[in-house]
Amino acid sequence: MKEIIAIVRMNKVSVTKKALINVGAAGFTASKVMGRGKLVEDKSLIAGRRKTLMALAQKDDQATDKLITEFLDGTRLFPRRLFNVMAHDEEVPKIIAAIIAANKTEHKVGDGKIFVLPVLDAIRVRTKESGEAAI
Amino acid sequence: MIMIRAIVRPDKKDLILNELSGAGFQAATVVDVVGRGKQKGITVGDVIYDEIPKSLIMLVINDGEKEDVLDIILRHAKTGETGAFGDGKIFVSPVDEVYTVSSSLAGL
Repeated sequence: MKEIIAIVRMNKVSVTKKALINVGAAGFTASKVMGRGKLVEDKSLIAGRRKTLMALAQKDDQATDKLITEFLDGTRLFPRRLFNVMAHDEEVPKIIAAIIAANKTEHKVGDGKIFVLPVLDAIRVRTKESGEAAI
Repeated sequence: MIMIRAIVRPDKKDLILNELSGAGFQAATVVDVVGRGKQKGITVGDVIYDEIPKSLIMLVINDGEKEDVLDIILRHAKTGETGAFGDGKIFVSPVDEVYTVSSSLAGL
């Protein structure tokens, strides 16, 4: 038994849910979290993002500049959705592939992370089944 | 790899995140949670407050970095010199695999 913890973009929640159903792991728990990833070391990526944001802001004063700098310096926490999915060992690669396929974008950063943790036991409350049968 | 889940006071969250970031542990996930500890919450007269708001900081790191991260969190989550009830708990669990969605690569 494994627990798959996937952190995905807020606007990718419904495609992730569909992907999970298609792969046969319909059950999940999701919560709203805030987080940040590794520091982006590729300066050109940040410069490009900065240009897009400045264009979106349509203003070129100091306050806007400061806001966008703070936005991109890596200290800010961004909203994401965290999925907990319990899975049988042999289904884990399939589920991971489905989550990756559903969440990949062209942005290169911020698409999320997937963690796989071991689970000692699981129990279904309704029937008291435990172990692999409970998933 | 291991996952660190630290339940800390919400007002200590920013300090801990800054210190972690300064030490090179940039990536983290933060959830607002409610809970109670061994002291069964806070009792004021007849009223028991047992859903005390806390922040849960979750991060996944390489095995060798555990001591550093624990030291940073323990040092900065503490209230005063001696600490106080309600400063929080830290849980450490193993992580088998990690994938980055944007690159589809395994590993942190």
